[in-house]
Amino acid sequence: MKKITIALAGNANVGKSVIFNNLTGLHQHIGNWPGKTVERAEGTLVHEGHTIDLIDLPGIYSLSTFSLEELISREYIAKERPDVVINVVDATNLERNLYFTLQLLELGRPMIIALNQMDLAEKKGICINIEKLQKILGVPIVRVIATQGKGIHDLVHEAIGLAENGYKKPNIKYGKEVEKEIQKLTKSLNKIELNYPKRFLAIKLLEGDEEIKKLILKLNPKIIKTVENRAKNLEKLHGHDRFTIIASERYKITNEIVKNCMSIGVCRSKFSDKLHEITTHSFWGYLIMIFSVVTLFFIIFTFGNFFSDILVGSLMNLHSIFEQYFGTGIASNLAWGVVEGLIAGITIVLPYILPFYIILGLLEDSGYLSRIAFLMDRFMHKIGLHGKAFIPLMLGYGCNVPACLGCRIMETKRERLITIFVVTLIPCAAVTTVILGLVGKYVGLGWALSLYIIDLIIVFILGRIAFKVLPGEPTELIMEMNDYRMPHLKTVAKQAWFRIKDFIYIAFPLIIACSFIIKVLDVTNLSESIENLMKPITVDWLGLPVFSGIALIAGIPRKELTLITLATHGGTTNFAAILTSVQMVVFSLVIMLYIPCIATIAALVKEIGWKKAIFITVFRIVFAIFVGGIAFRLLTL
Amino acid sequence: MSEKSMKLIDLKQGQKGIIVSVLGGRGVTQRLTDMGLTPGTEFKMVRKGRLCPVEISVRGSKLALGCGVASKILVKVKE
Repeated sequence: MKKITIALAGNANVGKSVIFNNLTGLHQHIGNWPGKTVERAEGTLVHEGHTIDLIDLPGIYSLSTFSLEELISREYIAKERPDVVINVVDATNLERNLYFTLQLLELGRPMIIALNQMDLAEKKGICINIEKLQKILGVPIVRVIATQGKGIHDLVHEAIGLAENGYKKPNIKYGKEVEKEIQKLTKSLNKIELNYPKRFLAIKLLEGDEEIKKLILKLNPKIIKTVENRAKNLEKLHGHDRFTIIASERYKITNEIVKNCMSIGVCRSKFSDKLHEITTHSFWGYLIMIFSVVTLFFIIFTFGNFFSDILVGSLMNLHSIFEQYFGTGIASNLAWGVVEGLIAGITIVLPYILPFYIILGLLEDSGYLSRIAFLMDRFMHKIGLHGKAFIPLMLGYGCNVPACLGCRIMETKRERLITIFVVTLIPCAAVTTVILGLVGKYVGLGWALSLYIIDLIIVFILGRIAFKVLPGEPTELIMEMNDYRMPHLKTVAKQAWFRIKDFIYIAFPLIIACSFIIKVLDVTNLSESIENLMKPITVDWLGLPVFSGIALIAGIPRKELTLITLATHGGTTNFAAILTSVQMVVFSLVIMLYIPCIATIAALVKEIGWKKAIFITVFRIVFAIFVGGIAFRLLTL
Repeated sequence: MSEKSMKLIDLKQGQKGIIVSVLGGRGVTQRLTDMGLTPGTEFKMVRKGRLCPVEISVRGSKLALGCGVASKILVKVKE
């Protein structure tokens, strides 16, 4: 049996992941590229007696060095040399997709085009002459409707054939003057031995690609000199930057191809256009957005509350059964700490986070989230971010861990950092259970709501400070808005699962460990001395009862544990008997703002490194205590 | 076609234009040309309200542009 490596490449939102999921089923995992936080999905499948390793490259528009994703994708194809590259192309958006196809071809690996979303294209009246397209591009093309699984197996079949029989390199020529330069340059690169094909190097040098320039400069600085001269000549001749010249040339080719192979009929999908118009409208758009976000939260938290009560009730019943078997000794008590951690995790994932991500996934896959990003752009600019940052912010209301990882959609390091910083300030589902269970239940929903508003104000102020303090220019929104489509349920479910998996892998072990440690503190009576140590902060500054100290510590693993701890240490679940209204508000405020939970800290370390993660954590503790103390004084005036 | 070039952001909703050039740093220019906004390309201002961003349709796809970027793109109005 032979092993074949296939890489999936294409623009964002063309259905790469649907094809990937279709092929690999459950045999897949998502990790990072070594040393870099760019997602890498890998899976294996067996087809016609071949074992196939499938790599899902990130969705990108070009092979330049605009983003880390682009750089990594081209390095992967050039260095790891997959046997076949499947270029997934959106049939409803042929011209811009082919721009990327041309660049992929220049990387010189055997290639197949998966012409996806053929059903949507037909609905829009787009007619593509596949034979002609195949002839011009010189690579096999397979019609695919990924969401229905159509054409997927033909695709793999073709890929295996290509890997075994080899293929003829297609030859797509640029315009006259540019092509002449490329060919001359390709010849002068004759003795350069790099992973990249010579023609690719020549084009990239002409374009002024910094990475490639660095590589060649080390081997032969002379070439760079001639390149710079020639590029200057071209710039003079065309009157534009060198990379604009090359991009224009490529688009000229794709435009020509589209003219030749595609015709558009009359029947355009009116509904999707209408929907787009109204959801981006400067009045109705905002109204619909507010309505859908409020509805989303309302559904999640009413459903979550109901389901979580049942779940907690039945799981806590286990305690008596547990004690029947293991007795009530210290060992049993400690073991119960572990179980309790597990329960805490489950009762937050199943009722809240999972449904939240499923609904959010539906909105994302249908294309609605990019409309929200469009609408929110103006506001996000106030804190130096653009509209796309709103998506991880929304994720944060579920759980901060996948939200932190979701910040990767931001293009530059600086923006990732600001977005991550802001995201961790968003009250996650666990914090919401505390706010609702304490303030919402005993003080009033109005107060609970004001806590959220205070949080948003704080997010705004701190975000703005971070934006002013951190060096660098803000980047602007340049975002494609794909047409609306029916969400693909399988893809949504997968996506939700991967986000939950982030949480389970990072958070569960930490929650359980911390829950165990807290039990140890309890059993050894250390918790009392800790409570006393914390007195100056909890009692004197924040005006909270002494036993709240250990509850604050319990919030480090999972914030919802604070309520449980509060109940056990206060001796009752009727919080009105042990806390005043002011204390509840102050306590919830501190819980909301102080230290991100341990799982989030782990995610922070993973994304931005130790130093920044520790800085954020320490800052948050000090800040929360400060704000809490002020709130206490204001509320008791 | 009028001779004077103007900023993309100054186009009215529904107006068509042709890209003349992109001002600004390499990063932005590269991104925009990669997305298909090369000189000579025809586009249409699909949505332009009092608020930012604007939306244009170009090469058969919809593109949202922040106002900062949109004022760095020079265009000519196509009558």
